[in-house]
Amino acid sequence: MRNTFVDTMLEVGLVDPKLVVLVGDISHFALQPFADACPGRFYNVGICEPTIIGMSAGLAAAGFYPVAHTIAPFIVERSFEQIKLDFCYQELGGTLITVGSAFDYSGLGCSHYCYDDFALMKALPETEVLYPAMPDEFRELFKQTYRNGKLTYIRLPGRKHGHEIPAGEIRLGKAVTVKGGKDLTIVAAGPHLRTALDSVPALAGRKLDAEIIYPHTVKPFDYQAVRESVARTKRFLVVEEHSQFGGVHDEVMRAVCELDGVAGAAINIPDKFCHGYGSYEEHCQHFGLTVDNIVAKALALCKSAS
Amino acid sequence: MDKNLRKKIVAMITKAGEGHIPSSFSIVDIINTVFSGHLKFDSKNPEWEERDFFVLSKGHGGAALFVVLEKFGFITQQDLDSYGTFTGILGGHPDRTKVPGAEASTGSLGHGLSFSVGIALGHKIRKAANKVIVLVGDGECHEGTVWEAALVAQNLKLDNLCCIVDVNGSAAQILPHPNFPGQWQAFGWNVLETDGHDEAEISAALTRFENMRNGKPTVILAHTVKGKGVSFLETHGPWHHKIPNPQEYEAIMKELSE
Repeated sequence: MRNTFVDTMLEVGLVDPKLVVLVGDISHFALQPFADACPGRFYNVGICEPTIIGMSAGLAAAGFYPVAHTIAPFIVERSFEQIKLDFCYQELGGTLITVGSAFDYSGLGCSHYCYDDFALMKALPETEVLYPAMPDEFRELFKQTYRNGKLTYIRLPGRKHGHEIPAGEIRLGKAVTVKGGKDLTIVAAGPHLRTALDSVPALAGRKLDAEIIYPHTVKPFDYQAVRESVARTKRFLVVEEHSQFGGVHDEVMRAVCELDGVAGAAINIPDKFCHGYGSYEEHCQHFGLTVDNIVAKALALCKSAS
Repeated sequence: MDKNLRKKIVAMITKAGEGHIPSSFSIVDIINTVFSGHLKFDSKNPEWEERDFFVLSKGHGGAALFVVLEKFGFITQQDLDSYGTFTGILGGHPDRTKVPGAEASTGSLGHGLSFSVGIALGHKIRKAANKVIVLVGDGECHEGTVWEAALVAQNLKLDNLCCIVDVNGSAAQILPHPNFPGQWQAFGWNVLETDGHDEAEISAALTRFENMRNGKPTVILAHTVKGKGVSFLETHGPWHHKIPNPQEYEAIMKELSE
């Protein structure tokens, strides 16, 4: 996904002289083609994330479309006040593109994990929060948002989900129904669309026909798509790499809260720091972001319905 | 030292019951001088693309900015009269979404210099000659982001950027900078010093900045007195966020009329 990011900067930067990219000492080699093709519009500013955010807002005030990029916790958590005041309160637009969330830097510990980026970024008024996990999704959503005057947060995952959605069907704020079904609704975010899709055969073996909804846009959330699906299936399961507070699960709860006779569950990150290192897959295993756990949770939900 | 602007500051803050009189007195002569010939602007078209930018980073001195904006026609006396009300455009800190001529919404210290670095960089990218003048407090220079931004500004050779520091010494009582001019020099800036209440001297320093353009940003250390102009406000800590009672109001106005 990082390659898609740098390719898109080059593609857009060549036709839009107002695009300026600022990074905090990451991805600078990868962005060299953009730097060469768009002289004076790429800055490896230094290791000073709050200032990168403040500068980016200043560039927006001067009429540019800034993109600030570095590791998620250093933008979202360290520089939160700059995002709030310099961008959002001042009604200036820009794009923040992060890597690392939630635990892609799986061996580095919690300084480099970021479980709460959706919660924090959603809480700021009039922001957009995107979670594309395929190249076309990033490319399309970036082009739809980067100059719309809003603060847009994009979490770039380290892994893709592998399911191609036609570019023409990727629209800001519109969830994608990847698979129809009648027994429960699985809302799977980011790379865990793949986990959800991989659980389909096992679910079918247990006579469960799952509908799978994929929200590449976390804010504005497609409440209607989720509500209509859960109104039919009466059961929902959310799968996401995010804290149990403030992520996609909260949005799904908001979507279904007025429906009668509905039950749901979530696989996400509990209210506890993870002190483990190891591989990405080990973290997924630890948090239950696995096919086996999706099947177990779905069975439990549907059993309770019968 | 402009007594008339000070009277307007006291009147609006007293009426609203909100604001920082001594901090505003500390910087009002600086802001007045900046707008008096050192800033390219069109008060009837505040978004004019060819304008220079003035950013008030120490937003709690906003009343000083507001009276100067009124003097130069960005806003009206009616706006000053509704200062601090829910429906007015003016309040305890400036809001760029509401106040013509206010380039930044500030209040939390340590934001304005980074923001100004971005604006100055934007001018450089456009190959425009416009300048950016940002006013910060010496207490604000406790904030680490000021020094992040200072380092970045010199690295980007932003000689279109001038940071004026309101050196009133108030916060130095708790955390002094051992060598303030040396600190800026060490960060690669041109360093000028001035009396922050002598408009001719401030103007001369700004002219030096405008003529310098040597690949370095410039800082003007403006030595000021917090509460300057009224004897019992000057350097007096408890007045930082205090609203005068009727007797104190009369006494302030009397001193400013002498």
